[in-house]
Amino acid sequence: MIEMQSFSVSFGAGEALREASFVITPGDRLGVVGESGSGKTMLGLSLMGMAPDAAKLSGKLRIDGRDMSGASERDWQALRARKVAMIFQEPMAALNPLRRVGETLCEPLRQHLGLSRSAARARAFELFEEVGIPDPEARLEQFPHQLSGGQRQRVLIALALACDPELLIADEPTTALDANVALRITDLLVRLAKHRNMALIFVSHDLAAVARATAEIMVMYGGEIVERGPTRAVLDAPAHPYTRGLLEARPSPQSKARGPDGKRPRLTTIPGVVPQLHDLPAGCRFSGRCPVELPVCAAVRAPVCAVAADRTAACHALVSEGGA
Amino acid sequence: MTYYLARRMLSFALTLFAVSIVVFAAMNVLPGDPALTILGLDATEDALAALREQLGLNAPLVTRYFLWVGHALTGDFGVSHSFGVPVSELIGERLPLTVSLALSGIVLTVVLALALGVGAAANHGKAGDWGVMFLSQIGIAIPAFWLSMLLVILFAVKLRWFPPGGFPGWGEPLDAMRSLVLPTVALALVQSAVLARVTRSSVLEVMRQDYVRTARATGFSHRRVLWLHVLPNALVPIVTIVGMQFAALVTGTIVIENVFYLPGLGRLIFQSISNRDLPTVQALVMLFAAIVVTANFVVDLVYVLIDPRLKSRA
Amino acid sequence: MTRKLPSNLLIGAVLVALVVAVALLSLVWTPHDFAQMNIRGKFAAPGAEHWLGTDQLGRDVVSQLMAAARNSMAVAFIAVLLGGSIGVALGLTASAVGGVFEEGIMRLADLGFAFPALLFAIMLAAVFGPSLSNAVLAIAFINIPIFARVTRASANQIWMREYVAAARAAGLGRFAISRDHVLPNIAAPIIVQATIEFAVAILAEAALSYLGLGAQPPAPSWGRMLSEAQTLIYLAPQLAIYPGLCIVTAVLGFGLLGDGLRDVTDPRLSRER
Repeated sequence: MIEMQSFSVSFGAGEALREASFVITPGDRLGVVGESGSGKTMLGLSLMGMAPDAAKLSGKLRIDGRDMSGASERDWQALRARKVAMIFQEPMAALNPLRRVGETLCEPLRQHLGLSRSAARARAFELFEEVGIPDPEARLEQFPHQLSGGQRQRVLIALALACDPELLIADEPTTALDANVALRITDLLVRLAKHRNMALIFVSHDLAAVARATAEIMVMYGGEIVERGPTRAVLDAPAHPYTRGLLEARPSPQSKARGPDGKRPRLTTIPGVVPQLHDLPAGCRFSGRCPVELPVCAAVRAPVCAVAADRTAACHALVSEGGA
Repeated sequence: MTYYLARRMLSFALTLFAVSIVVFAAMNVLPGDPALTILGLDATEDALAALREQLGLNAPLVTRYFLWVGHALTGDFGVSHSFGVPVSELIGERLPLTVSLALSGIVLTVVLALALGVGAAANHGKAGDWGVMFLSQIGIAIPAFWLSMLLVILFAVKLRWFPPGGFPGWGEPLDAMRSLVLPTVALALVQSAVLARVTRSSVLEVMRQDYVRTARATGFSHRRVLWLHVLPNALVPIVTIVGMQFAALVTGTIVIENVFYLPGLGRLIFQSISNRDLPTVQALVMLFAAIVVTANFVVDLVYVLIDPRLKSRA
Repeated sequence: MTRKLPSNLLIGAVLVALVVAVALLSLVWTPHDFAQMNIRGKFAAPGAEHWLGTDQLGRDVVSQLMAAARNSMAVAFIAVLLGGSIGVALGLTASAVGGVFEEGIMRLADLGFAFPALLFAIMLAAVFGPSLSNAVLAIAFINIPIFARVTRASANQIWMREYVAAARAAGLGRFAISRDHVLPNIAAPIIVQATIEFAVAILAEAALSYLGLGAQPPAPSWGRMLSEAQTLIYLAPQLAIYPGLCIVTAVLGFGLLGDGLRDVTDPRLSRER
């Protein structure tokens, strides 16, 4: 079980993550959505103990009941890959170009699990089969530049699964892939999480992928969790104006709109841009872009309101309406 | 890969060919009469004519060029005027010293530079990093021959740990090695200042790459990530500079041998200049230029060993 | 809005100003005549009369160092100007003409890299005898391929700009475009390169003069002073210190200035510091 309590990450005066609190247990599938700069990646890195050196951390982070807030790099090394694993956005860049993917995959098997060369090799073969890489024997011998983007992401998933982690954090795992491949990778992650009874944090700004992959959702903006609840319920009836904005900005499934690069266009219809870390508003961080903004919003932080039994949202407008 | 190799080999051969033309032209086409240079202004016309005949200067230039290259390929660089022995023999006697000096110099350079450069990068922004950067900035500005003199003043004149110069011959291996210590250090310190900077920025660049983050996320220690994932990827620019530095080191031996009075090829070239021994100078200049070209060729081959992406390139 | 100047630029500028000022001052004033011998006053200790003492012939060390600064600056200036002009001209032409001509020029430039300045100076010395002008030629020669490469690379980028296309549409010839549009726009990288090569030239002159392939006696030169000091290393080791410090100051100054100028003019190229 992994638990964050009022966890913050700040750089100087700017808070990249503000008082995040949540609990995740084996089998949970949690989606984290928001635009770039919303703190999603910082959340993932914090769970790996990999926030940048310059960052100041505060609050509690417990992994299996153990407080990790003051943990040393060595303590974290013992947890990474074995307890918490992570895959990143750019499969093209995330594999060492000078090593055969088989070598890359065998390294943690031998180092962390102490397998022999041949046992590691056999395990790597199984992992490749598990993540759906065809002809694993030949693929293990190849270099990253010889594989397609989707295959590389599968290799990275296999690498993340190598030491049977209890939590897999997938940071924008499908963003760099084309739509069909993205869909298959998303389904693969769900299948693996269910099959292994592993917790999954699926970080994305692709709401369709999150809806497909997760049961719970957290919407982040400006380093804060602004809304959370069951994925279906939140996406069907968003309570926070930012979540509504995200949904409205989504390209409609009918139009099948694609940008010139063949990917789905970025979310652009929320007016304004995500504020920079150093000039976040003092009050609600969505103030300035919010369509239902009240006079109080810019100055005072929004309270967290229960929208339903299992749902919360942080918004002044919800208070003045007297609930949902 | 075969295509890449073939291309590189062809360009290597062409460059060597072009270099030989430049050397030959510089030494033979430029105005000046070698016979006059050798015999001096008060030589008789008969003696000059006889020497021209002996040197084969009466044949057409192109013929002389091909004769020179043809002979050189079989290891025959003609006869030295001043020593009266074949140039190849002179070179053979002195080559081991120069080669030992250049090789020990490059080894020390690489060891020092990798240690300092990787150390600085690993402590990016801290005191150790600044120290290495400061020292290397100064090191780049120091002439190797002056550093040699400072080393001599300290370690030979004041402390008397090493001889100030000279070479006892390989018959005394221990003394021979002792007399090569200061020259090697003088050669390597300046070069490693350059290489340490390159190493540092290359390592820092690689440390920002996604695959390094992947390796950290897989639970490996900083040290393991640094040596197994970062350094191999940082090597490509480092190898380029090492190739260029080997060339600089080899010509650097010319200077250093003169500072330490070591009887290598560098000393020989200067003795030949003062003796107006043109065949010897020509052979040595060609040899040094060939080493420079070869070093760059070897670098291209090493790239293929380091980077699998080059192998699969058609 | 003022941008903070990089510290290497400031330190480099100060050192360069110092060396250039001393070189210029030596034209009109040195404490003593740098070539004036005084055998009885040889190896004088530093004092009010001779700030850094005298050498084996009783010559004033400070005066020699000052005169040598002038010599060093002159050699570097002429060599970089000569080699740089030829290199820039070749690079501009290669870029403007393109095709086989460009390829040929660049292959020739590659060939130039096979000859370090020292080898070229050795060839010249072997044929013509050693002299300072041969050293200048040798240093100028190695600058040609360096400037040809930098110029061509920068010029090729300019040729793709729209204002060049506009100039061509207006009927300007290739050479007029090179002169009026390309050259002014690649001045920054060329000046940066020239500053760095200035430092290299100072080092090369010192090494060649030290080896006897450059400045001949009695011409003042830091390198030659060092080669004389070497024979006296047991007797007067201090004489081997000052000229070296001068070389380091000058080389460091121009090197830092070049790095600093590059950081200011082209932040993309600036190295991670």
